[in-house]
Amino acid sequence: MVMPVQTDGSSPAEPLLHADALVKSYGVTRALDGASLRVRAGEVVALTGPSGSGKSTLMHCLSGIIPPDEGQVSFAGRNLADLSDQERSALRRQSFGFVFQFGQLVPELTCLENVALPLRLDGVRRAKAARRAAELLARLEVADVADKRPGQASGGQGQRVAIARAMIGDPQVIFADEPTGALDTRNGERVMHLLIGAAKERGAAVVLVTHEPRIARYADREAVVRDGRVREARTGRYEMGAVR
Amino acid sequence: MRDLLLGVRLSIAAGRPGWLRLAMIAAGVGLGVAMLLLVASVPTASGNREQRRSDRGLTHITDKGGLLVRTIESRFHDQAVRGRMVRADGPGAPVPPGLPRLPAPGEMFVSPALAELLAGPGGDVLGARWSARVAGSIAPPGLAGPREVYVYVGSGDLAGGENTVRISSFGGRPAGTVRVEFLLLAVVGAVVMLMPVLIFLITAVRFGSSARERQLAAIRLVGADGRMTHRIAAGDSLVGAVLGLGLGALMFLAVRPLAGELLPADFVPFTSDLSPAPASAALIAVFVPVAAVAVTLAALRQVVIEPLGVVRQAGGKRRRLWWRLMPPAIGAALFVPLLGGDRAGASFGQVAIGVALLLIGVVVLLPWLVPAVVRRLGGSGVAWQLAVRRLQLDSDTAVRAVSGIAVSVAGIIAFQSILNASVTANLAAQPPGGRFAAVVFSDSADTNGWAEALGGVEGVREVGRTAYGRLRIEGPEQSQAGVRVGDCDVLRQAAALPSCADGDIFAVRMPGSGESPLSPGTAVQLYDFAGDKALSRPTVPANITTVTRYSNIKLGGWEYLATPKAVGMEASLRGLNQDGLLVSVDAGDPDAIERVRNVTTRLAPAATVEVFGDRRVADQFVGAAQAAQAGAVLLLLFIGASLLVSSVEQLRERRRLLAMLTAFGTPRRVLSMSLLYQSAIPAVLGLALAVSVGSGLSAALLAATNGPIEFDEAAIAGLTATAIAVVLAVTAAGLPLLFRFTRVQELRTE
Repeated sequence: MVMPVQTDGSSPAEPLLHADALVKSYGVTRALDGASLRVRAGEVVALTGPSGSGKSTLMHCLSGIIPPDEGQVSFAGRNLADLSDQERSALRRQSFGFVFQFGQLVPELTCLENVALPLRLDGVRRAKAARRAAELLARLEVADVADKRPGQASGGQGQRVAIARAMIGDPQVIFADEPTGALDTRNGERVMHLLIGAAKERGAAVVLVTHEPRIARYADREAVVRDGRVREARTGRYEMGAVR
Repeated sequence: MRDLLLGVRLSIAAGRPGWLRLAMIAAGVGLGVAMLLLVASVPTASGNREQRRSDRGLTHITDKGGLLVRTIESRFHDQAVRGRMVRADGPGAPVPPGLPRLPAPGEMFVSPALAELLAGPGGDVLGARWSARVAGSIAPPGLAGPREVYVYVGSGDLAGGENTVRISSFGGRPAGTVRVEFLLLAVVGAVVMLMPVLIFLITAVRFGSSARERQLAAIRLVGADGRMTHRIAAGDSLVGAVLGLGLGALMFLAVRPLAGELLPADFVPFTSDLSPAPASAALIAVFVPVAAVAVTLAALRQVVIEPLGVVRQAGGKRRRLWWRLMPPAIGAALFVPLLGGDRAGASFGQVAIGVALLLIGVVVLLPWLVPAVVRRLGGSGVAWQLAVRRLQLDSDTAVRAVSGIAVSVAGIIAFQSILNASVTANLAAQPPGGRFAAVVFSDSADTNGWAEALGGVEGVREVGRTAYGRLRIEGPEQSQAGVRVGDCDVLRQAAALPSCADGDIFAVRMPGSGESPLSPGTAVQLYDFAGDKALSRPTVPANITTVTRYSNIKLGGWEYLATPKAVGMEASLRGLNQDGLLVSVDAGDPDAIERVRNVTTRLAPAATVEVFGDRRVADQFVGAAQAAQAGAVLLLLFIGASLLVSSVEQLRERRRLLAMLTAFGTPRRVLSMSLLYQSAIPAVLGLALAVSVGSGLSAALLAATNGPIEFDEAAIAGLTATAIAVVLAVTAAGLPLLFRFTRVQELRTE
C-alpha cells in the first residue's frame, strides 16, 4: 500500500517527485538519455521540446507507467522500482491523475460514470462516487453533460470531464499529456485555466507535456526536453485569472 | 469499376499486416465454403446412391427366359448382408451392374466389404452360407456405397415361384420409404449446420475491418468521396472472399474422403459421389463474394468514414419485436395440426418449414432480447458496469457470434431428443434375450423336420416351437382373432407378461383397436391358421389379462397369446401352423447364430432369423447421437473461433482506451472480468433462448412422430456446459492480447 504524502509539512525545496538520470530505449531508439527532473508539491512543470524528444516517455517514467532502463524515480521518498505492479497501480489510482490529448474517456460510460470510475475502482460506493463526480463536473462547468456519453459532448467538454476524472481522487500529481492538443485556442485556454486552477486549489502538482509555448506559459517552471535530456528553460509567469 | 479495382489493389499490396488480414479472412471464408460444399454435396451423394440402387432394381418383369432372381436378406453379427441369388434362364439373361458376367452355379461375386468379412474372424462360417466360391468382386456401379455388404450368388436350381422374380433387364426405381424421423433429423441438421457457417462467414469477412476503415479514412483524406470508399471497400472484401472460395474448394477436396467416414457404414458414400451439383457449386461461388460485399457495405452503414478518422454510429437503436416474433409464431402454428399426434393433418414440407422457422426465430429474436435485457441490468462492480454499458452501447457484434451458438444448441437439443426418443422406442419394441436367443420364421415354408435340423446345429442347445391359429365365435357374425400358442418363455418373446403358467391366456390390444371381438367369458372355437379345421373349444377367461406386444411384430386389432393347455393343445402343437422355431444357443459361441442362419438359408432361402434383445437399430441411433454430440462440440469450437475473432477485433479497436484505463490504475482483473461478462451475458441469454426453443421444437417433433414427449436432460446439460466452456475458453484466449494492449506503450502516438 502506498502511503499518502503530507504536503503541508514538507519543505518547498524537497521534491515530491524526483527523476534521476533516467535512460529508456525503444529498440535502437534512445528516448531518454540521462534525464533528471524534480517536481515539488503544488508546482506546475511544463515539459516542452520538439516531437520525439522524449517528453511523453519522461512523463510515463515519472508516473510509474513504464520503468526506466537505468536511473530511478522516487515519489515522496520511495523508489518506484521497489513497488510491485499492484502497488504502482494503486499509486496511480490514489496519488496521481491523468489527462490525455483526446481525453480517452470510456465511450460506453456516461460522463458522470467516467469521472466516478477511479473512486469505484478504489471500492467507493456507487452513490458516494457519483455525488463526488457531480460536484467536480459542476466545478468544471460541465454538469450539463453528466448523463451524456463522451461521444455526445464537445471536445472541450470532454477534456473538462477528463480533468474532473483526474481530480476526483484528490491526487498529489496530475500528469497531462498534450491536454489541449485536440482543442481550438479558446477551448484550449479554458481547459488549461480550469486544470491549473483546480490543481492549485487542491495543492496538486502538475506535470504538463506540451509543445505549445502558449500552453507552457501556464507552468511555474518549464523544462525543455531535447535528445532525451532535460534542460531547465525558464520559470513561468502565469497568474490565476490572467487568461479567461 | 476503377474504385473496385483500387480496392483489390490495396488489399493485395497492403504489406505484412494486410497480408495477415487477408490470410485470416481467406482461412475463415475457406472453412465456411468447405462446410457449404459438404452440405451441398449431401443431396448429390444421396441421389447417386439411390440411382445405383435403382440401376439394380427388379422392375422389368418378364414371363419367360431372362434371369431368375431371389433377394437375399441376411445378417452376419451386426452387419446386414444383402444380395441376390441368380440363375440365367436362356442366353439373353441380363448381367447385374458392376459384374463382368453372371456367376455360374456355385460361384459368387462379392462386394469389397463382404470380401473383408469373409477374410475376417468367423468368415468361414459366413462363407458356408451359400455354398459358393468367390469368383470376383462387385464394381462400384453395382453398389450403393463402398461399405455395402452385397453378394450375387449363382444358383443351378433356382426356380420361378414365391420370393423369386424373372426379369428381362436390371433397372427401375425401387420402392423405398424413408422414416419420418430421418427426414426431420436431416432438416434440423441442415439448418443447424448452415446457420453457424453463415454467421462464421459474416464474422470472417469482417475480420480486420477497423484497419480497413482507417485505411479508407486515409483515402478520403486524399479526395475519395463516400461512394468511392464504399466501392473500394467492396473491392477489398472481394479479394478475401475469392481467395477464401479457392481455399475452401481445396479444403473440401482434402476432407471429402474423411467426411463420408463419419456416417454409419450403410450410408458411407463413394468419394466421387460426394460432390455438389454444378448449380449448387455455382450458387456458392456467387453467393460467397456477393455476401462478402453485402456484409462489408452493411457494416459501413454503421460508421461514418471522414478524412480525419472513423466515427462509429451506435446506441439508441430500438429494435421492434413484432416482426421478430413472426417466424417462430408461424413455425409454432405449423406444428399445431400435429399436436395430439394427428400426423395426417400435416405434410412433411409443413414440418420442415416449421422447424426452419423456429430455428430462424432464435437468430432474429436474439438481437432484440439481448439489448432489451441489458438495458434493464443494473450495475454492481466496475467490471460488470463496463461490460453492461458496452453491451448497451453496441451488442450487435456479441449477438452475431452468440446467435451461432444459440441456433446450434437449439437444433442439437431437438436433434438429440428425437434420437433419444427413437432409441427408447426401439429398445421398447425389442423382445429381451432370455431362454431363447432368436426366432426362425419359416416364411410360409413347410417346417417339417426344421426342429431336428436346427437342433443339430453346433452351439444350439434347445429348439422351442410356436404356432399360430384362430379363435372364432361360432355364429352369424363369426368374430375371430389370431392366437399365438407356445410355452411361457416362447410367449414372453412376444410381450412382457406379468406372470405366466401353463394354462394362461393373454389378450393383446394394438393401439387404435376397438372392442375385443371375443367377449371375455365366452366359449370359442380354435381353428388352424387357414381357418378350415376346428381343433378345440376353449373359453376366453372373464378376467383375462391384457398385455402390450413388442411392436416390431406386425399385427392389427386384437390378438391372443396362449399356452398350449389354455387352448386345449398338446405341447407338440400338432394341427396348428408352426410358423416359427425359437432357438437357444451357447452364450460362449458367437458364431452359433450364424450357423443357425446358414442352416435356415439352406432350409428355405427366404426364411428369416430374428435375434432377441437386438440393439442393432437402437445402437445405430446411439451411434448417431454420439456423432451428433461430437459434431456439436466441433460446431461449438467453430463458433468459439468466430467469437474469438470478434473479441480480438474489439480489443484491437480499444487498445488505446485499455492502455489508458491501465495507466490510471485499473487492475487487469477488472478488465479481464469485463471481457468475460461481455461474452457471457449474451451467451447466457442466447443459451436460455436456445434451450427454450430447442425443447419446444423437440416436443413438437416428438408429437409429430407420435412419440412420448421426453427431454434428454443430460444432453441439454452437457451441451450448455460445453457452450459455457467455449465462452470461458474464448475469454481466456483473448487475455494475452488484452494484457498486451494494457501495456502503456500503447499510449504512445509517435
